[in-house]
Amino acid sequence: MDETHLTKGMHMHRKLLAAGIVAAALVLASCSSSGDEAATEATPAASEAAAEETTEEPAEEVVEDQAPSVTMDDSDCAAPENYCVGLVTDTGKVDDKSFNQAAWEGTQLAADQIGAFSKYIETTDPKDYANNIAQFAAKNYDTIVTVGFLMGEATVAAAAEYPNVNFIGVDQFQGEPIPNLAGLVFSEDKAGYAAGYLAGLMTKTNKIGSALGTDTVPPVKLFGEGYKAGALAANPDVEVTLVYHEPNNAFGDPEWGAAESRKQLDQGADIIFAAGGATGNGGLIEIAKDPGAGTTVFCIGVDVDQYGTVPQAAPCLLTSAEKKLVSGTEALVLAAAEGTLPAGNFFGPTGIAPYHDTEDAVPDDVKAKVLEVLAGLEDGSIDTGCPACLDN
Amino acid sequence: MSVTDPAQTDLGFSDPDPARAGRWSRAQAIAVPVVSVLLAFAIGGVLIWLQGVNPLYAYWVLFQNALGSSEGLLRVMEKSTPLILTGLAVTVGLRTGLFNIGAQGQLLVGAIGAAWAGYNFQLPALIHIPFAIVFGMLCGAAWASIAGALRAYRSVSEVITTIMLNAVAIALVDYLASRPLKEEGQPITRTPLIAETAALPDIGIVPVGFLIALMVAIFFGWFLTRTTQGFRFNTVGMNPSAANYAGIGVRKTIFLAMAVSGALAGMGGAVETLGITGRFEPTFNAGLGFDGITIALLARANPIATIPAALLVGTLRSGAATLQFETGIEPEVVDVILALTLLFVAAPIVSRLLFRKRAQKQTSVSSGWGGA
Repeated sequence: MDETHLTKGMHMHRKLLAAGIVAAALVLASCSSSGDEAATEATPAASEAAAEETTEEPAEEVVEDQAPSVTMDDSDCAAPENYCVGLVTDTGKVDDKSFNQAAWEGTQLAADQIGAFSKYIETTDPKDYANNIAQFAAKNYDTIVTVGFLMGEATVAAAAEYPNVNFIGVDQFQGEPIPNLAGLVFSEDKAGYAAGYLAGLMTKTNKIGSALGTDTVPPVKLFGEGYKAGALAANPDVEVTLVYHEPNNAFGDPEWGAAESRKQLDQGADIIFAAGGATGNGGLIEIAKDPGAGTTVFCIGVDVDQYGTVPQAAPCLLTSAEKKLVSGTEALVLAAAEGTLPAGNFFGPTGIAPYHDTEDAVPDDVKAKVLEVLAGLEDGSIDTGCPACLDN
Repeated sequence: MSVTDPAQTDLGFSDPDPARAGRWSRAQAIAVPVVSVLLAFAIGGVLIWLQGVNPLYAYWVLFQNALGSSEGLLRVMEKSTPLILTGLAVTVGLRTGLFNIGAQGQLLVGAIGAAWAGYNFQLPALIHIPFAIVFGMLCGAAWASIAGALRAYRSVSEVITTIMLNAVAIALVDYLASRPLKEEGQPITRTPLIAETAALPDIGIVPVGFLIALMVAIFFGWFLTRTTQGFRFNTVGMNPSAANYAGIGVRKTIFLAMAVSGALAGMGGAVETLGITGRFEPTFNAGLGFDGITIALLARANPIATIPAALLVGTLRSGAATLQFETGIEPEVVDVILALTLLFVAAPIVSRLLFRKRAQKQTSVSSGWGGA
């Protein structure tokens, strides 16, 4: 360094520059981990699975799904013999192990059956909802699936703008029915009730907890309240703790999910319902690390069978309060193709996922009682106290 | 003190021949970012190619969508508008020797402030729009002033405080949008829609917010090089001791620069609320302030250069969805390209390659924001 030629001002700048680069790196790191759900999920997954999983990870992204003698591409979706189905994800990736992934799987199942071409766009900025939907509409797609509660208004607007396109809003409650829009909704309280009932029967400490996405999103609150009601129905002595994340980043905060779950375990809870995207998954993974996982401590997942979506949670995973998103989406895409799209709300099936690794930990009489409750929920003989519970 | 001799503002170069130093710095100021962008695109191209897509086709799709139609151009301008302003916010800080990482937080409070001013009043548009923008700017300035005061009067690093105030701002606006300012009768965390009189219109395909951002960038290009106050900012940034010796109130200048920086970020939030989103919703503003850091560094703290830098980022962000639609490439490739660009600009790699002889004396960014 030719120090003699440097002014003191330049020294200042050097230091500032160094600080700047470090700070920028910090910001970028924190940015990417909070802004991108896939990244936040991948981090615990990667650190957990370490070496052995790297080999079995399928590297490629399946964007286009084709069946033989069917619509092969979207170059001419307007032609009557061609059928095209598009899906717009909510912010987050199509392999988010939750809504986006389940809706895409359901879409693919239906597309295979009707010989349709299917494709997705991953939304990175909520301001792009309308534009991403428009990409499909401009190509004359027959059916467009939009995923997630937050895309509800954009989907309603798009349905009005493109009356000849069938819209399926996954997890989108419909106020006023629109002829070409079906909202796939679920009675989350029923799924939560069944899971809570199981937890109420299984708890040894009479204390069960939860780490939930924000209660400002009604489906999450329905899960929580249903869980509480189910647990109390099974066991009037049980103490149920419902804890919700703050609204911001409610579904992308695995660290919070893990910390909250750990705290409740330390306070004596032995079953935790972790529900809310990456936030809940963080809780599941944390509980699975507990030495008592699968024997004295259990976790309950949400939305889809999380045994498949978060394998690290397998040791503690009792079940998942499940929205049957895959079959619900599949049914609606098929209905749209047959021209029988139900306008307004379509209630998809709910239930709880198989026990998997905790099969042996659940006594047979408990299993039988849970089956009774599931049947009671389905035929409506059991009242979960919801949707009135939303006012709690 | 007044500045009339332009040579005086051209600080930071100790080359015995000032004219030559100026030429070099100008050549660097343009070449380094351009080469950095090209390098980043080349590496991004390799990533695209590895996914089985022709990179040239992918880039054509990306830019064709963004720039090939009036809707695309409108979207690019919409996306670039807040980025120009947050880029300027970081730039003003850098010129004064401050690294404002809090543009995101300042933008958030500006955005929600403008939303409140937008829906809470019924005024004629000619009054309502400026009022809502200025209110958003004041919110951003007030927020940044916390860090500014701590830096100026308690010597607390603004890097630390602005980062931490980002987290506080997120919590604050969440609270406001989910409780006192929440739109009634619906479950989403957000404010009501602003009144029509507060909405920034488009003139043809040009959003008014974009024009405002351009004018502000040009204003600061003039302000930082041709005014007494701009000279104070620069001098404090170059050497606070010398500035103090020359009679410049260093603390006051630091405090003021931070407030101006916050006002610009708040303006970015306000213009976004009034021109694009129409209301405040927490997820709407993600990352805009952080992109400002990229843009300011890419523009090498030159206010005018934030315009092309923001347009580049806006174009990439705007075209990302179409890139996936047409080629299946994941939209995050755009973030990779931007991150690489920032890396090449900030680390003196490119300037060493290009200006091997001079690089020892003038590393990339450090010479950039002293110059024209």
